[in-house]
Amino acid sequence: MGRGATRRSVLAAAASLPVVAAGCSKGIGALGTPPRPSPDVAVVRDAIDAETSMIARYNAVLTAVPALAGSLRPLLQQHHEHLARLRARLIEPRASSQAEDTSSASATPAPPQAPGTPAAAQNYLRLAEQAAAGTLLGKITAAPPSLAQLLASIAASEATHALLLAPGRRPG
Amino acid sequence: MSASPSPSATAASGQEAPLAGSPADRAVAALQTALDAEHAAVYGYGVAGAHLAGAKQKAAARDWAAHEAARDTLAAMIIALGAQPVAAAAAYQLPFPVHGERSAVMLAALLEDRVATAYLGLVALSEARLRMAGARALQSAALRATSWRGAALAFPGLEPPSPGPVLAGQGTTRPGPSTPGPSTPARSTPAPSTPAPSTSGG
Repeated sequence: MGRGATRRSVLAAAASLPVVAAGCSKGIGALGTPPRPSPDVAVVRDAIDAETSMIARYNAVLTAVPALAGSLRPLLQQHHEHLARLRARLIEPRASSQAEDTSSASATPAPPQAPGTPAAAQNYLRLAEQAAAGTLLGKITAAPPSLAQLLASIAASEATHALLLAPGRRPG
Repeated sequence: MSASPSPSATAASGQEAPLAGSPADRAVAALQTALDAEHAAVYGYGVAGAHLAGAKQKAAARDWAAHEAARDTLAAMIIALGAQPVAAAAAYQLPFPVHGERSAVMLAALLEDRVATAYLGLVALSEARLRMAGARALQSAALRATSWRGAALAFPGLEPPSPGPVLAGQGTTRPGPSTPGPSTPARSTPAPSTPAPSTSGG
């Protein structure tokens, strides 16, 4: 929670500058409207959080079912690529190089509990991929064009992950 | 939030999308790029299906039909915007010789990569309906590509893995028949002399 709150407050502070300036001339108007980051910043931030939590799920599964490592690692690697590309879109004053996937502990409530059998674990990830792809698709209309393209591509990638994680298929 | 289309999609697909002024012009250009890719896919699946058998041929026939439907939908959308849909080329040069199952499967995956890239142009448009249509079509193409390839890509459409050249149309690809082309855009049969995957029924 700490890291998320910090990031949010930094972004909020940046977004509030023009509002405060306008508020000075117009009296108390600015007090009623909590400053919000611009929509695309919020979209990128949400997508980063989603990727981070997806990576946490994969790591939890790999810990619980090491036998799946061979098939899951290529998919996990692609999530790291998604995350890196999304982070490159977000200009943060703090360098985020030290925070790789371990930052999930602060971005999400707790490390996810992965099922212990290969089939259940695979299904667990499949459902997560499907949900993530659907969520991303729902955001593309709120994004500027090039970000929309990135989100659509990542959503498509996650949908294909779900396909490979389907029962009876072995990913990778 | 200005809606200037990113060049990534058109640059990657090698299309010369004229970025004219109005949103309608940009929409038409993006739709034409997607239609062009669908034309090539319809042709290419005809080739691929001829070299496949059994379940793979069935899959090719199903995907081929999907591309035909997408082609007709795109043509109708372009007509609705008052433009003339690009016609299919008379023939397409294959990126590599296709003479067996392996190369046929590779061709199918590559066709889907190319279609995925083409639809990214729609995702960059400002109109939400076209954006979503593009994103969904991109996803469908990525799913088909993964089915053929047996592997996923990190950035379907954005970073196609295929180093080879895309299908190059030979013949008319301009809007309107500048040369006596054999096909009309919307309801043409697949490219001439192309054996269709024949799996009817069952």
